[in-house]
Order: sequence, then structure tokens, then C-alpha cells
Amino acid sequence: MTKRELVELWNRRAWLRTVAASGSLISLESLVPGVLLHAAEASPRDDRILIVLEMAGGNDGLNTVVPHGDEAYRRARPEIGIPADNTLAITSEFGFHPALRGLADLLEQGQLAVVQGVGYPNPNRSHFESMDIWHTCRMDKSSRQDEGWLGRYLDAIDGASFDDPPAMHLGHEKQPLAVLSRDVRVPSIQSLAQFRLKARDGQEFWKSIRPSSQNASPSSNDLLDFVRESDRSAMATSERLESVNSSYTPSQAYPSLELGRKFETVAKLIASDLKTKVYYLRIDGFDTHANQPDAHAGLLREVSESVAAFVRDASAQGFGERVLVMGFSEFGRRVSENASEGTDHGTAGPVFLAGSAVRAGLVGAHPSLSDLDQGDLKHAIDFRQVYASVLQDWLGAPTEPVLGGKYEPIELLKKV
Amino acid sequence: MNRWNVDVDWAWAPYEPTHDSPWDLRAASHLYRRAGFGANWETLSRAVQQNPADVIRELVEREEPAAFRSDMESLTQSALASGNPRQLSAQWVYRMLHTPTPLREKMTLFWHGHFATSADKVNDAELMQQQNELLRSQSLGDFNVLLLEISRDPAMLEYLDSASNRKVHPNENYAREIMELFCLGEGNYSERDIRELARCFTGWEVKRKKFRLNRYQMDEGEKSVLGTTGKLTGEDGVHVVASQSHTPRFLVRKLLRFYLADDVVFSDELVEPLAVQLQQDGLQIAPVLHRMLGSNLFFSASVRGRKVRSPVEFGTQFLIALQGSSDCFQLADAFERMGQGLYYPPSVKGWDGGRSWINSSTLIERANLVHDLLAGGKTRFDKRTVSEWADANDLTSTDDLIERLQTLLLAVDIPDAGRQRIAELVSKQRADSTWVATTIEVVCTLPEFQLA
Repeated sequence: MTKRELVELWNRRAWLRTVAASGSLISLESLVPGVLLHAAEASPRDDRILIVLEMAGGNDGLNTVVPHGDEAYRRARPEIGIPADNTLAITSEFGFHPALRGLADLLEQGQLAVVQGVGYPNPNRSHFESMDIWHTCRMDKSSRQDEGWLGRYLDAIDGASFDDPPAMHLGHEKQPLAVLSRDVRVPSIQSLAQFRLKARDGQEFWKSIRPSSQNASPSSNDLLDFVRESDRSAMATSERLESVNSSYTPSQAYPSLELGRKFETVAKLIASDLKTKVYYLRIDGFDTHANQPDAHAGLLREVSESVAAFVRDASAQGFGERVLVMGFSEFGRRVSENASEGTDHGTAGPVFLAGSAVRAGLVGAHPSLSDLDQGDLKHAIDFRQVYASVLQDWLGAPTEPVLGGKYEPIELLKKV
Repeated sequence: MNRWNVDVDWAWAPYEPTHDSPWDLRAASHLYRRAGFGANWETLSRAVQQNPADVIRELVEREEPAAFRSDMESLTQSALASGNPRQLSAQWVYRMLHTPTPLREKMTLFWHGHFATSADKVNDAELMQQQNELLRSQSLGDFNVLLLEISRDPAMLEYLDSASNRKVHPNENYAREIMELFCLGEGNYSERDIRELARCFTGWEVKRKKFRLNRYQMDEGEKSVLGTTGKLTGEDGVHVVASQSHTPRFLVRKLLRFYLADDVVFSDELVEPLAVQLQQDGLQIAPVLHRMLGSNLFFSASVRGRKVRSPVEFGTQFLIALQGSSDCFQLADAFERMGQGLYYPPSVKGWDGGRSWINSSTLIERANLVHDLLAGGKTRFDKRTVSEWADANDLTSTDDLIERLQTLLLAVDIPDAGRQRIAELVSKQRADSTWVATTIEVVCTLPEFQLA
């Protein structure tokens, strides 16, 4: 699909929404595919924001949403299993890891959904391959190129024409493949304080020696063109961020840990009326091959407290209805623990969504702990179905061109 | 991604200067940029007086002088005395800036990214330095030795959670990464190979900061790894992996990407002659590297300016070219903010390099580093201020200075229009003495400067 076709599809969808509002949609049913009709029903607002949280290293899903009611779980985890009494109740059979108090509270307030057993066919147990698969939705390495699913979404909405960065990555690590796009250079920001040019006269200095983007002609060196585009994006973002609202004060204390600070920065940027649609955040360290219990608890607490603070702060700041947080990991871990009080690489795991728009609760059935594939869970829901729901029902975007195939969305959001 | 259409025989034949690809200052500058951490005017001038083959041979064959090594040892000892691995980063920056054997040091950095181990997790300066010494001593040697040593290296074992490998439920982490990231590449082994190889490593552990074999935890049964079956030990397992035909191919591709070009798909035909040589040489690294760096392809236009400078290259090349010396702690910290913390690689996969070095945040860090180096007052250029340095080098006009920077530091030329804009901007400042620093700052924050 070409970029033009994408934009056409996009415009058509926007048009459908108008038609739907006028009540004459029924007569169109035979003409338009179901996916489009569904998109029209959802009628997403244009100011919605998606925050993607990557939990890198392979989060142990079984010790996140603990199936303590299952005898097989207790057998497989004699050392590191979490007893029912220590969990935070979800249902009679499942409970949260005790460090997930913040998420448990969100669930109680109807602001958290947990999709169970999310994965994909023929799971790859390499961190890097599996992460690339989640980022690109491409199983085959050779078909991947440097483009991620969020990058394709940005191209689909013509993000290059936005005045503000259409997406932003917060962190000091390299840019996630998910946000790489053909037309948009997504800025990365470590912190607002870091993102300031020291050169005399700041951006003016830079601007004065660089050709304006209209006058820039491509060179014979792709790499040079890439650096030039990135350089322009850096300058524009730096300029935009200088105008960021300094009057924002958080209504909640965010954890004074890296992830807490990142979520606070996102809140500040949203409060400053940035038109950014996607924020990408990452927390690393979930590769718990040895001495898992303490390390895992610390990471889960950081995630849980940061997300909960953000969701509550968003409501207090008045943009609670505009934000959705999605947390995922590249795979779960082996059902049976190893001999180092840890777990090895596994397959399916939970994905969580937080925000006032979610249909709260557990979604889908937990994969069986006795019907395993080489000691690993069989996935119940394809991660691309989760993406499809987020794209279609939250962002109101076409799913097929972004995901590279047809995936049945699942109902994750409340009907509006 | 680009695909090259080149004649393989020509590509790997020894470099012969031609009209289009002369052995001149720019060619020498290219060589020192890629094979080391850059060069100053004197080094380049001396190199072009010599035969390129001799310059390359010297880079590959020169041994680290004993005096330099003992200097570095005492510096390392004081860094270790602090117990803080962060001191080690600064010490390594110093070493890169002053080493008489830049290629060995560059290869040490290559292996640090290949056998990536982070002090973030290991958190023991002594073990981290022990590993760093191992990488340096074997950097141009026999890969079989390096691989076996790194497999039993305490820092590596700690990093990959393999400091105690038990017979029941062996931990699979090291078994996976030695195949996926160190030797074969993803897809060239099965999940079953991982489980079997993990059994070979049972009994390996770290006790009192040393590797040892715990016979009670050894799985003495028969294993089958990558088609080899027997009562394999850990050493046997490492040997089986190293002797796969994928290993030399995997290494050659990685070396090509590191030394030649970022955005290129190297064809099998191009990789094959070097992979065959590496295999025939018993996985000796120096000869194949020598051939790579001394080839027609290496000096050709398709390789020039086709790499993004890594943060370490960005900072060290700037200083070395301008005979600068500065605060190594400040540099090491800046490298980390730019994405390349020495002793702190981001994951076991090391640094992806290439385009991944560049984003808005790292570009601002890069510009700010240049600004700090020029404005901070901590940097001396050949023991002088930067204006005095320009005077001493007879660089009295903006044009002369830009021309000199281009030869010393730039792999691709600044477009004429850009040079004109810089000259205009600087002419407003000609009256005071800051024009030298301004010109250097402008040139070294241009997109062109990000390429090597």
C-alpha cells in the first residue's frame, strides 16, 4: 500500500464518521468493509494519546498475574512461586504480585484491563528477535526494514506534516524500532533539562548555518540525508520544548525513579498542549534468570506506582479521558523455574492497558499450565489483535496497513 | 539499506592508489578514523610520505610498548582503588586518546561491544577491568582462545547470571547468547541446542572472583549440540560452537559493518573470501583485519563517509585531530549521555551503532560536548588555547581553518553554500579572538561531522 492510498483510506474513514453522525450509514453497509464501519462507530476523538510502555527483558507474566489457584503453578514454582495469601486479589483464581498495589487500585477503580496470554505463533525466544517482532509486526527478519508499527501509524496520519512531534521517545537508550518511520524522525528526549542547546544564541546559531528544509536537496549519501533530517527535527523539537508550560505542577507524587520521572515528563508535555499522539517509554531489567524475587518485585513496583500516579494525575489535570497506557514485554518466562531462583525465556504473557477508557478486568482466558509447548505457554491472543484494538478503537486509525494483515480487534475499551 | 555491486577480486586486493583514489591526506585521515581514534596534522603528513601498505602494517602489527602499558597499569590501579567502575570509563578514554597502538585499542572497543558486559549489573570494578584486559590482550589474536576465556570470565558469568550453573534445571542464558550473539547469529541453532549446551556448562561457577569447576554440579551425561554428540564438557561446548561454519561468516560481517559501512547489506560473495581466510587462519583476527583495512574497497568512495561516528569516535577524534587534552571524566560522562557508556553497554547485544547513534537528544548532547570542550576552559590544544593553536598552525583565515578541519576531521565535504554561511557568520566576530572557537564549533556540529 502506498502512502497516498493510506491517506485516502484515512480521509474516507473521517468522512464515514460524518456520515455515521448524520444517520445515513446503513445504506452504505454493502459498500464499505466492516472494519471501517466499526471505526466509524467508535468515533475516536482526535486528541487522544497513547503511551506505550516497554518492559524489556521478558517479564515473568506468571508472577505478575499469578494463577495461584492452579496446582500446576505451585508445582512449577516451588522456590519463587507466590502463595495466594500474598497476592492482591483479582478473582478467586488470580491475584496480582504484591508489588502491584498501584495497578490493583486502578483495577478497583475501573481503570485497568489485563489481556492474558498474549503472544504470537512460533514464538522466538531471543530477546532481540522477539522484541523486533513486537515492534514491527513482521515475523520474518528479511522483511523488516527500519520501520515499526507506530512508525507506520505516523506515516498513515501524515505525521510529517504535524507542527509538533507526532511521537516522542523518552529515554537515553537508542530509539525503539517501533517508532521508526519512513517520513518522520521521532525525537528522543532524556529529560527536559537535558534537551537544551548550549551553543551561543541556541537554535538561532544552528539555524543560521543550515539550509532551510525547503532548500535542502538530497545528497548521494543516504546516511548524510538521515543525519540532516534528524538534525532538523532536533532543532525544531528543541525550539518547541522551550515553550513548554512551566506552570504545570503534578497533583500526585510520582516515584522518584527513572520511570516515574519519565511519566511525569509526559504529563507535563501533555499539560503544555503538545499535539503529540504517541509517547514511548521503556524500563529494562526483566531478564530474571537468577535471584528473581527481589529484582522482579522492584521492577513491578516501579511500573505500578508510576502508571498509577500518571493515570491519577492525568484525571486531576483534566486530560484523563485522553490518555491510554499500554504495557507489554517481548515474552513471558518458562513455566518451570530454573535452579538459580530464576526463570528462562518463555512465550506468552500479559499486556495491560490503563486509563479511564478501558473495560476493566481480565480479558481472555489464561493459557493452560498443563498443556504446554516445550515447557512454555501457548498464546491465547495475538499481540497484533491488541494493537488492532488500540489503533482502531482508540486512535481511530486503519489497522491493516499498519499491522501488515487482518487481525480481529478485541473489546478493550468502553463503548462510547 | 544499500547493496553494493562490486567486483569481489578487486575489492579485497591490496589497495593500489589511483587517480580517483589517491593516497593523500584525506585517505590517511580516513584510515586513522576507521582503524583508530583519528590523527593530527603531523601524523597525517608523515603517513602520506610513506607507502600506504607500510602504514597499515604498522597499525596492525605494532605491539603496545612496555612503558605505555606500565603507565596505564598504574593509572588503572588508582582507578580500581576507588572501587567505582565509573572511574574505569575515564581511564579508558585516556588510554584511547594516548595509545601508540590505536588499532589494538579500537579492536578492544569492538570486542567490548561484541562480548558486551555492563558494570551496571556486575558492579565490581576489578572484574570489569580483568575482562577489559582480556579483550585487549586477545583483541587481534585467536578467536578460539578469546571465546573460551570470555566464556569463563567472571564478569561475563555474573552478567549473564551464570555464576552458578547447577545440574538440575540448568540456566540457559549463556548457552543462548554464545550462539545468538557471539558466534552464529539468530536462526543458526535450535532451542534444543540451547538446552543441551546449557547442560555442558553445568558445574561452571565463580568463587572468590575466580572461575572454577564444581564437579558435584556437573552433568556428566551425553549431550548433543549442533550435531556433535558425546559427554561434552563446557570447554567442548565452546569448541563445538566456535567450529561451526557460521562463526567466521558471522564475525566477518560484524567486522565489515564496524570498519567499513553502516547501511550496507554485504553480499555473500563479498563476505566469502574473508570468511574462508578467517577459517583457514584458524580464526586468527589480525590477518583478516589487515586484508580488510588494506583493501581497494576500504579506500574506495563507496566506503568514505558511510559510517556514523560513535560517541567515543566523535569525542576522541575531535581532540586527537586538534592535539587537544581535556577532562576524561567529563568526556566519559558525555559519551554515556550520547549512548556509549564505556563499561556500561546497554545490553548483551552491545551497541547497534549506525543510525541508532543519532536522534534529537544525542545530537544535542554532541553539540553541547563540542561547546563545552571549546568554552569550558578545561581543554588545551597542544598546551595552548584554541586561538593560539590556530596561530601556531598559521591558520589565519576562516577559509584556511575550515579547510584544515575538513582534512583532519571530515569524511564528507561541507557544501560550498554552507561554507559561505559559516564565513559570513564568523566575519561578524572577526574583531575579537573568538572566531576560531566559533568556526570549530560550527563545523563540528554540522550533520557532515557526524559521519566517519
